[in-house]
Amino acid sequence: MRIDPEVCIACEVCVPYCPMEAITMKDDVAVIDEDECVDCAVCLKSGVCPVDCIIFEPAPWPRSLRTTFSDPRTEHKETKIAGRGTEEMKTNDVTGRFKRGWVGMGCEFGRPGIGTRFRDVDKVAQVLAKQGAEFEPKNPVTILMEDKKAGKLRKDVLNEKVLSAIIECIFPIEKFKDIIDALKEVAKQVDTVFSVEVINRADPDGSYPLRKLLDETGIPCYINGKQNVGLGRPLANV
Amino acid sequence: MTHTLHRQGTRESLSRDYPLVAVMAHGINDKGGGPKLGKFLEICWRHGPVNLGDMKQGSVFTYNAEKIYKNVSDTTIVECVFDDLNKVEAVLRDLKKEDLGVPVVVSGLTDKVRECCQKAGLEIHTVAQSLGVWGDTSRLPSKDILEITTMCGHAMVSSSLIEMMIEDIKKGTITPEKAAEKLAKPCECGIFNPTRAAELLAKAAAK
Repeated sequence: MRIDPEVCIACEVCVPYCPMEAITMKDDVAVIDEDECVDCAVCLKSGVCPVDCIIFEPAPWPRSLRTTFSDPRTEHKETKIAGRGTEEMKTNDVTGRFKRGWVGMGCEFGRPGIGTRFRDVDKVAQVLAKQGAEFEPKNPVTILMEDKKAGKLRKDVLNEKVLSAIIECIFPIEKFKDIIDALKEVAKQVDTVFSVEVINRADPDGSYPLRKLLDETGIPCYINGKQNVGLGRPLANV
Repeated sequence: MTHTLHRQGTRESLSRDYPLVAVMAHGINDKGGGPKLGKFLEICWRHGPVNLGDMKQGSVFTYNAEKIYKNVSDTTIVECVFDDLNKVEAVLRDLKKEDLGVPVVVSGLTDKVRECCQKAGLEIHTVAQSLGVWGDTSRLPSKDILEITTMCGHAMVSSSLIEMMIEDIKKGTITPEKAAEKLAKPCECGIFNPTRAAELLAKAAAK
């Protein structure tokens, strides 16, 4: 994203719209810090600029990743899904991606509202890989891995900044405590935040085995969650 | 994608916040899924959500609801939000009767949603639970701001805009309801809850 300095009238209206606080006033015009900007286009789509001086030009690789991962309208070419580019547990009643006895985990980098460089995603993915986590193949972050077994992302993307990116993996429920311990350690080494999600196949009464483990380990979880209500067809009974 | 999972707030406030999301499973049942997702939205709209949208088209704060649900594509994700669990139950009953085959997730207070599904005769298939925010949490804005920003999981609603709205409410230049509408616009999916946002904005401005 950039602002045409010849057209900008310095009204400052666009400044608060930027989720990355990358728009500032300099020499009587609004300026976008291109390194901090994630090309989400919120400033442009807000339509608040009275002189239409906010410009978006599609960027070449690897900067093009910023739009794909930051503008939810954009479909990830490889997974054919918009937003963060993964169906995760939303379609588990049909895909059977998360089976009984297994835990799904989603580490959503940059969320809430901070943004992330892929180098932090890479750091955590490698730790999860060492613990034996298996990455979801239909996930845009996995597609960026040059070594999927090691969780290693390609070098040319590491400095790109995006609004959010999700590492998505599965592991047997027995590995849960080890994975959480490893995650706690690596969390101290990242320059951003990440929101952690765990996924578990439910029992017929709506309870789920992972709940007991969460209580035992004393890991706090939110009082609100997300539940797939089993309306998808054909139904995957896994 | 987890854009409705990590909403923050008190039990009291979250008791008026229930997002529903529907998406077809790519490569399994997505062919011809657009009209089914449209029907899902139409059913939701009948029961009076506080927001509704399609990730590829936009929300009711920028487009007409009927136009949205009549033009849904096979590979999009559609969503809506209710501030009343009774309405969610009514939607789930209709969806069960209609048997569209569309995968649906309901977010919100875990125990309340489970109860609601049982009343509607549905069996929970899979559960997702948030373990909160990890990493350098010193970079996060205040709790008041997070309770509002996390209602747009794609982070389209900026902290700065919320702070500006709170200041404007304090000055009396905008009402909490109008400010909430302004904040709902950048959230193109339609999962931002404007009625809850208005309550939170009013509370923050009164501090």
